[in-house]
Amino acid sequence: MRTFDYTQELPVVDGQPPAKAIDDVVSKPLDTKPGKVWKILITITSLMLLVGGGALVWTFYKGIGVWGNNQPVSWGFDIVNFVFWVGIGHAGTLISAILFLLRQRWRTGIARFAEAMTIFAVMCAGIFPAIHTGRAWLDGYLFPYPNANHIWVNFTSPLLWDVFAVSTYFTVSLVFWYIGLIPDFATLRDRTESKLKKTIYTIFSLGWRHSTRHWQHYEKTYMILAGFATPLVLSVHTIVSFDFAVSVIPGWHTTIFPPYFVAGAVFSGFAMVQNVLIFVRQAFNMKHIITIKHLERMNQIIILVGTMVGYAYAMEFFIAWYSGNQFETFTFINRAFGPYAWAYWIMVSCNVILPQLFWSKKIRTTIVPMFVIGIIVNIGMWFERFVIIVTSLSRDFLPSSWGMYTPTIYDLGILMFSFGLFFTNVLIFVKTMPSVSISEIKAVVDGAQPSHRGGGHHE
Amino acid sequence: MDDKGNKKDANYWRGFSELNSDPEFLKAKEKEFADELPVDSGEPEMSGLSRRKFLTLLASSAALAATACSDYRDKGAIVPYNKKPEEVTVGNPSFYASTCTSCSNACGILVKTREGRPIKVDGNPDHPVNRGKICATGQAGILNLYEPSRIKEPMVKTGAGNFTASNWADIDVKIIDTLKKASASGKEIAVISHTINSPSLKKLFEDFTAKYPTSKFYSYELVNETNKINAFKKSFGKEGLPVIDWKEAKIIVSLESDFLGKEGNPVEAMRLFAERRDVMKEDVLQESMQLTIGGDSSSRKEGFNRLYSVEGNYTITGANADYRIKLRTDAIEEFVYALISAAGENKSPINDFINKYNLKKEVVNSLVEDLIKNKGKSIVLAGAFLPESTHIAVNKLNDLLGNTRLYSKDYSETPLMPLTPRKEIEALTDRMNSGTVGAVIHFDTNPVYHFSSDYKYTEALKKVETVITMSEQMNETTSESAYALGISHNFEGWGDFKTRAGIYSLQQPMIAPLYKTRQKEAVLLNWISDSPEKYTENDYMNYIRANWEKTVYTSFGAKTDFKTFWNYSLHDGVVTFTEKADNAFAFKNEEFNPAPAMKAATGMTLTLTRSNFIGDGRFANNGWLQELPNPITKVVWDNYASISPAASEKLGVKTNDLIEISAGGRTLKAAVFVQPGMADEVVSIDLGYGRTGAGVIGNNVGFNSIELMRKNPAVSDWLYQDCTINKAGGTYEIISTQEQYPIDHERYNDIHLKREIIMEGVYEEYVENPKFLKEEKGETHLFNIVPSYEFTTTKWAMSIDLNKCTGCNYCVAACNVENNIPVVGKEQVGKHRNMMWLRIDRYYGGKSDDPKVSFQPMLCQHCDNAPCENVCPVAATNHSPDGLNQMAYNRCVGTRYCSNNCPYKVRRFNYFNFRNNLADGYYEQQSLSLLHNPEVTVRSRGVMEKCTFCVQRIMDERQHATQEGRALDGDRVKTACQEACPTNAIVFGDLTKKDSEIAKHRNHELGYHVLEEINVRPNVTYIAKLRNIKPEKKS
Amino acid sequence: MTEHSRHTEEADIMNKKIYSIGGLFDTPDSITHAAEEAVKEGYTKFDVNTPYPVHGMESAMKLKPSLIGLVTLFIGLSGAAFAFMFMYWVSVVDYPLIIGGKPFFSWPAFVPVTFEVTVLSAAVGTVAVMIALFFKFPNNAHPLHDTNYMKHVSSDRFGLNVVAIDPLFDESKVRDFLSRTGAKDIEIFYEPERKPIRVFDPKFIGLLVVIAMVTAGVTYFTLNKLLYMPPFTWMAEQDRLSSQSQNAMFTDGFGMRNPVEGTVARGFTPYEFKGQPDSVVRNLSNPLPFSKEVIDRGKMRYNTYCSPCHGYFGKGDSRLNGQFPNPPTLHSDKVRNWPDGNIYHVITNGQNVMPSYDKQITRDDRWAIIHYIRVLQRSLNAKDTDLETKK
Repeated sequence: MRTFDYTQELPVVDGQPPAKAIDDVVSKPLDTKPGKVWKILITITSLMLLVGGGALVWTFYKGIGVWGNNQPVSWGFDIVNFVFWVGIGHAGTLISAILFLLRQRWRTGIARFAEAMTIFAVMCAGIFPAIHTGRAWLDGYLFPYPNANHIWVNFTSPLLWDVFAVSTYFTVSLVFWYIGLIPDFATLRDRTESKLKKTIYTIFSLGWRHSTRHWQHYEKTYMILAGFATPLVLSVHTIVSFDFAVSVIPGWHTTIFPPYFVAGAVFSGFAMVQNVLIFVRQAFNMKHIITIKHLERMNQIIILVGTMVGYAYAMEFFIAWYSGNQFETFTFINRAFGPYAWAYWIMVSCNVILPQLFWSKKIRTTIVPMFVIGIIVNIGMWFERFVIIVTSLSRDFLPSSWGMYTPTIYDLGILMFSFGLFFTNVLIFVKTMPSVSISEIKAVVDGAQPSHRGGGHHE
Repeated sequence: MDDKGNKKDANYWRGFSELNSDPEFLKAKEKEFADELPVDSGEPEMSGLSRRKFLTLLASSAALAATACSDYRDKGAIVPYNKKPEEVTVGNPSFYASTCTSCSNACGILVKTREGRPIKVDGNPDHPVNRGKICATGQAGILNLYEPSRIKEPMVKTGAGNFTASNWADIDVKIIDTLKKASASGKEIAVISHTINSPSLKKLFEDFTAKYPTSKFYSYELVNETNKINAFKKSFGKEGLPVIDWKEAKIIVSLESDFLGKEGNPVEAMRLFAERRDVMKEDVLQESMQLTIGGDSSSRKEGFNRLYSVEGNYTITGANADYRIKLRTDAIEEFVYALISAAGENKSPINDFINKYNLKKEVVNSLVEDLIKNKGKSIVLAGAFLPESTHIAVNKLNDLLGNTRLYSKDYSETPLMPLTPRKEIEALTDRMNSGTVGAVIHFDTNPVYHFSSDYKYTEALKKVETVITMSEQMNETTSESAYALGISHNFEGWGDFKTRAGIYSLQQPMIAPLYKTRQKEAVLLNWISDSPEKYTENDYMNYIRANWEKTVYTSFGAKTDFKTFWNYSLHDGVVTFTEKADNAFAFKNEEFNPAPAMKAATGMTLTLTRSNFIGDGRFANNGWLQELPNPITKVVWDNYASISPAASEKLGVKTNDLIEISAGGRTLKAAVFVQPGMADEVVSIDLGYGRTGAGVIGNNVGFNSIELMRKNPAVSDWLYQDCTINKAGGTYEIISTQEQYPIDHERYNDIHLKREIIMEGVYEEYVENPKFLKEEKGETHLFNIVPSYEFTTTKWAMSIDLNKCTGCNYCVAACNVENNIPVVGKEQVGKHRNMMWLRIDRYYGGKSDDPKVSFQPMLCQHCDNAPCENVCPVAATNHSPDGLNQMAYNRCVGTRYCSNNCPYKVRRFNYFNFRNNLADGYYEQQSLSLLHNPEVTVRSRGVMEKCTFCVQRIMDERQHATQEGRALDGDRVKTACQEACPTNAIVFGDLTKKDSEIAKHRNHELGYHVLEEINVRPNVTYIAKLRNIKPEKKS
Repeated sequence: MTEHSRHTEEADIMNKKIYSIGGLFDTPDSITHAAEEAVKEGYTKFDVNTPYPVHGMESAMKLKPSLIGLVTLFIGLSGAAFAFMFMYWVSVVDYPLIIGGKPFFSWPAFVPVTFEVTVLSAAVGTVAVMIALFFKFPNNAHPLHDTNYMKHVSSDRFGLNVVAIDPLFDESKVRDFLSRTGAKDIEIFYEPERKPIRVFDPKFIGLLVVIAMVTAGVTYFTLNKLLYMPPFTWMAEQDRLSSQSQNAMFTDGFGMRNPVEGTVARGFTPYEFKGQPDSVVRNLSNPLPFSKEVIDRGKMRYNTYCSPCHGYFGKGDSRLNGQFPNPPTLHSDKVRNWPDGNIYHVITNGQNVMPSYDKQITRDDRWAIIHYIRVLQRSLNAKDTDLETKK
C-alpha cells in the first residue's frame, strides 16, 4: 500500500543530509544545554504564567465577580479567550491531517510542531470553560456520570456539545501526536548516552523496533487518525460556533457561523503556527528544515482564509439588512457605529485589510513583515470574538437592560496566564522532544526510497 | 439482645444496627467469635461451620472498619416548643394586624410571622385607607427590626464622650431625678417628637405634663403639609385636609402635586386613581356604547379619568399624566390665577401665560376646556411644598368650579396635634441658649440632622444640662446627647393611631424585644409612674387598653363587653365608625388676594423634594431602600441635583459632574443628573441624604440638601427662587440601573415602541374599536417545528395592566423581602449586577426636552419555549409540568449562558457571595439570619437566580388544598408583587381554569406579550397602556 | 551495554536460547532485495527493521494487508450506537425533563455528541488495539533491544533478522543466507532468561499496602472531610432560621419564639370561656358547611385525635382498653342534645380526664370533627323514616 506519495515539486529538506545527520540536527536541542535565548524566553513566559496564575487564584478566592462580566454581558474575556485559543488550536491538526491526506509533502517539516501547538492551544482553551463557571469546583456536573439523584446533563445544550467536542479534540490530537512520536522516541532511545533519558525514552517508545510488520499497521492507523482528525477539526469549531448560533440573541443567532468560525479558526491558527515556526526556525536554526517555501505556503493560505473571513463579515451585514429584522439590523449598525465601534474597526483592519499585503511576493517571503502580519492577524481574530460576544450582549432586545462591559486587570491577568502557559509549553517542547518528525524526514530525503520503486519519482 | 444467652447462634448475622453499636459490645463480639473459632477442629461438619465463621469474622471486621471510617456529622439540635402556642403551627405562618409607623400616615399592616418571628409586612386588608397595601418603606421596615447596629440597651455618655452600656433601672432613677429637679427649678423640659397621631400618646403627654409641669412638647417633620393645611384652614376654616373622592374625579389637575409618589398617602391615592383606569370593568366601554346596565350607574359609566400634570421636576405623577405641561415651578401660582380668570370666562390671562412660557397651546386650552366642562367632577391639586398663597388660590379655583363636592363625606384627616411652627422652634433654641431648658428629650427624632443650620441647634444643645435621645440606632443627635436610649422597633411594641375621623388603628408586637430595649412610649410612661422599678412590658398596653375602654369603646358603642371588643379590635387591627364631620365647604374670599404672591423669578428655582423611599432620612441605613431605584431616573444609593438637558448644556456639565447650588446665601456641592423633561429653570434635589451618623450602610450616601434650607424662607421651606448653579469641577459617580442612551438619536428614539416592547393607544380609539391595537399590530403567526409540551393540569401565568401600573416600585420591594434578595451595594449596581428579580423598566418616548414616560414591570416570563432552558448544560433550569421555569440552585454551576440567552435579561447571577460582599459581611451578622424567609433558599456565590413566581406560595396553596381535600385553586395564590401592588395591576393564576381572572386578562383584546415574534411564548401578559388624550383628527 | 558484557554473554552461549539471527544493510535497495530473497528461501518468520517505512517492503515481504481498519469500523459504530441510545435513555426513560418546550426525544440535538463520541471511541480504540493487541506493546524486554543491530536500524541502516521459530531455521544456513544477500555485522540474538516475579516479595506487598492506604486515605478525606468544607457547604448551610432550630440570638437559644402576651393573631381571637359552658358558648354556631369535604376532613381528624379513646364510632370503646379509663359513649341523649358549641367547648378546654385539644386540633378541624360526630350519632340512631326519605 502507498501512503506517502512525495512529489518533487518542493524539497522538504534542502540538500541531502545522511540519516545520522538528520538525527543529530533534530535532536541537537535535546542534547545540548539550553542556550541564553531559551533561558531568557522561558523566564519571561514562566513569569507571565506566575503573575497570571495569581489573578486566577484571586478569582477562585473572591469569585468571578472580580472580572468585568455583568448582567447583560455575562460572557466577557473568559469565553473570548476560549474561542480564540480553540481557533488557534485548529491549524495544527489541520496542517498535519488534511495536508497529510492531500499528500502535501511540504507538511513534513512543520507537522509535528503544528500538532504540538494544537495540543498546547487546546490546553489553554480548555482552561477557560473550566474557570469561567461560577462554581468551578462543581465542573464535574458537566459530565454525564451516574449519581444518586439520577440527574444527567442536558444534551440539548451547545455548551455540553462543547464539553464533548473539546475533550474529544484534545484526546484525539494528543493520540495523533503521540503515535507520530513513537518511532522518534525509539530512535532517541537508541542513540542517547544518558541513563535517565534512556529510561524516559524507553518508557515512551513502548519498545518500538522499527519492524516493518509494525510499520504496516502503523501507517494504516496513522492514515485513519488523519481521516478522523479532519472532520473532527471542522466539527469542533462548528460546535463552538453553535454556542452562539443556537441562541436567540441578535448577532449570535446566525446560520453563517459554522463556516465563518472554521475559516476564522484556520486563519488565526495558521497565523500563530507561522509565528511560532519563524521563532523556532530562527532560535534553533532549522532553516534547512523549515524553509521559506513552507512559510510562503502558509502565508498564501492565510490570505485565502482571511478573504473568506472578510466575506463573512460582509455577508453578516447584508443579511442583517436583507432580513428586515430590526433587532438584527440594530445590532450590526451598533457594532460598526455603536460604543464598541473601535473594537469592530480593529477587527476589520487586522483581519481583512492588512493581510492583503501578502499579495506581494516580497512581503510574503521576507521574515519580518510576515511575522508582524501574523501577529496582527491574531490580534484581529481575538477582537473578532470580542466583537461577536460583547457587542451583541451589551445591546440586545430590551433597551432597559443594556449595559457596557469593561474588563478588569484580572481579566487581563488570566489572558496573560494563557499566553504564558502556551509559550512555556512550546519552549519546553522544543527542548525535550524532536520538534520535527525524524522518521518522516528520513523517509523523504532524496534517495531514501528504493530506486526501482520510484524513490522520489512519480509512478 | 443479650448475647451470653444464645452463644450457639453467635455467628448469626444480626443486622447493621449492631455493627454500628458501641465498641465494647463489638470487642466482646469479636472475642466471642475468636474463642468460638477452632483453629484446626477435627470434625468435618464443624470445619465447614468454622470456615463460615471465619468468613463472617472477616466480613464483619471489614464492615466494622468501613463504618468506623465514616464520621457522624452533627446536624445541630432540634429545638421544639415546650408548649406550642395555639396560634402557631410549626412551619406555617401566622399573621398579626398592626399599624405602620414608618411615616405619619399610619397605614394598617398585616405582619407575617414564622414561629413568632416577623418575616414579611403587607397591608392590612381591613384598613379602609390602605386596603391591604403598603408602601416600599413600610415593607422594608422589617430590616430595621433585625438591623445589627441597633442600640441594644440604654447607653450613657462617659466623660470621655463615648457611650457605655447601662441598665434601665439606674437610668430611670437618674433621669426621673433630673426631670424632678428641672420642673422644680422651673426649667423647661422639651420633648421633641415627630407628628403625633396616637391618641394614647397624646394622653400620655398630657399625663407627663401633669407630672412635670414645665415640660413642653414639640413636633416637626422635615417634609410636611403645613402650608396646605394652613391654607385650607384659612380658606374654609377647617382643621385638617379633606380626603378627595377620587371615584368622582373625571379631570385631575396636579400642579406640582406628586400625589402618586410622595405626597399625602400615595398608597391610597394610587389605588383610587387607578380604579378609574381599569379596562377590565365592562363599564369602561359603556360611556360611548350607552348600554344601560343595572346597579348604580353614576360612577360606572364614567370611563377613564384624565390627569393633567403641570410641573417643573419630573415626578411619578407627571409620568402617569395623560398631558404633562412642563412649567417652571415658581410660575405655578400665576398659572392658577390665569386659570381662575379663565374659569370666569376671561381667556386673555391664560393666553398671555401660554405665550409667556411658550406652553403647548392646545394642551392648556384642553385643560381649561375640561375644567369648565366638568365642573364639580374635577379636582385641582397643588404640591404641598408650594407656598400658602398658591394653595389658597387653588382652593379658590376648586371652589369656583364647584369641585369642593369631591371632598369626601366620610373621612377627613384629623391631626391630633398640629406641628410646631418654625417660630416656636426658634424660641426653644433661644431658651436653650439662655439656659432655661433643663432637659431635652428627643422622642425618636433626629433634629441635629433635620433642623436647618440656621437654628444653630447643635450649639444650643450644648447649653442644655441633660439631653436624652431615644432612638433605634445611633444617629447625629445621639452623639450630642448624654443618654442614648435604645428603643424598641414598631414590631416590638404597642400603640394606637388615628389619622382620619372615625378610624382608629392598633399596633401590637409580633415578637418580644430582641434586645434590652423599651418602646419609647413605655419609657415616658415609666418616668411618670410612681413605682418605675416595677416596669413590665405590658405597662403601655394596659395604658392604651384603659384609654380605649374610656374613649373608643364608649364612642363605638359596641354590644359586646370590652374584653371581646379589644380582642376583636386587635384581631382586625382597626376600628371604624362614623364620626361627626360637617361637609359644608364655604370659601372665605377675604383670604384670597387678587394678585399672585409668588411670581416667577429670573434666576433658577430650587425645589427640595422628599426622597422616594428613605423618608426624611430616617431610613438611610436601610440597604433595601437605598438600593430601590428612583422610579423615574432609576438612580440608586444617591440623591442628585437634577437639571434639564438644555440647562446642563448651558452650564457645560453632564451627569456626574459636580455643581455648586447657592440659594439665599447657602451653598451645596452636588452631582448633576441630567433629567429629560425638567423645566430649564428648575433644579431639584431630594432631601434625607448625606447623613453622617446613620451607620455603615447609610453614611455619606448622597448630599445633605438640608444645608440649603432656611429657618425663615422667602417663599416656602422647600422652594427657593433666584438661586444660582455653577460648575464646581470634579465628578461624583451617580449609579443608575438603566443605561442612559441618547433618546433623541434616531437609532434610539422611541425604540421601545418600535420594538413593541411597550404598546400604547389612545383611550377613545379603544372605546370606538376595542380591537384597534391588535389590528394595528397585525397577526403574528408562530409555529414550532417540533410538537411542544402540553400543560394539562395547571399552568401558572401572570398579567400586568400597564394602565394601572404607576411605576411605584412597591412590588420590587415586596419581591426583595419575600425572596431573600441581597443588597449588593452601589459599586456592584454600577457594574450592572443588581440582584432584583423584578424590575420596573422606564422608557422615555419622544424628545428629551419633554419626553413621555412608560413603565413596564419586567420579571421572568416563564416562557413555554424558554430559551434559557435549552442552553443550560446541566439542566439546572427546566420547566415544571405546571408551567414554571424553575431553577435548581444546587445543580447550577454558573455558566451564565441562560442569562445571555434570555431575551428579557431577567436572570441574576451571584458574581460574589453577596452575603459577605456588602460592607464587609453586613449580611453575615447574626441578627440578619432571622430576616430571611425560611421558605426560600439563600443563594450562595456562583449561582444563577431569577423570579420563581413565588413558587413557595404556590406550594403552600397546594399543601392547603390537599389538607382541606379540595382542588388546587389558582386564584388563591398571590405572588408577593401582586400582594404589594397598590393598584392591583398584577393578576396571577391558573390558566387552565377558563373562568379565572388570569384567563380573562390573557385573552383581553389589549393583552400582548413582549417580543412575541421570537416565539419563546412568554406567560406574562401585558395589558397595553391607554393614554386618555384627545385623538388628533385623522383625515 | 558495553563491549565487555557482550563478550561474557558470548562466553556462555551454550546455556542460552537463540531468538534470531540478523544482519544490517546500507541502502533501501539492498534491504528490499534481501527481503525478496528471504521470501524466496521460504522463510516466513523473519522481520525487516527500517528507521522509516521503506516503500514496497510489505509487498517484498509478502505481508497480508493490515486489518486494523475493521477494528476502527467496529469500535466506531458501537461508540455511535451507545452514545445515541444513552442519550435517548437519559432524556426519555430515566429522567425526562421539560426543556424549552421541546419533546423529550429531540434527536437533532443528539447529533453532535453522537459524532464526537464516535470519533473519540474509534480513534482511541484503534490505537489502543494496535498497540496492545497487534504490537503486544509495551515490550522493552525484546531480544533485539540494546543491540548494535537495533542501534543502527533505528538510525541510518536497515536490518533483516530471521527468527528461530521459523520452521526452516538453521543457524549456519541463515548465516550464509544473510552474508549471501550482502548483510554486514551479522548478529545472533538470544532470548533473555526471565526471572519469576515473586508475589510475596516484601517490596511488592509493601507497595500494595501503600497503594491501599493512599486510596483509602484519599477516599476517606474526600467523602468525610472535603465535601463538608466550603465551598461545598455553601448552599447546604442556609443562612436562615428554619423551624425547630437553635439560634444564639436569643438567650434561651430557642429559634422559635412565643407570641407576646396579649397579642391576637389573625383567626385566633382568644377563646376566653373556661369552666362550665355558659349560654354564650352554647350559642356558638358551627361556621363550616355540612358538606362532604368537611365531613371527610372531620372523619380524618376524628380518627386521628379522638378515636383512640372514643373509638371509631364514638361508642367509647377505647383502643387503649384497660390502660386508660374509657370515656362515655357519644351517643348518649345528653351528648346528642348538646349544641355544637358545647362539644367545641369540651374539645377546646377538655373535661374531667379529657385534656384540652386546642394545641393539637385547629379550630376549623374541631368544627369539622363536630360535624362528623353528628354524622356518627345520626347513623347509629337511624330511623325507618330515613329509608323512606331515600326513596
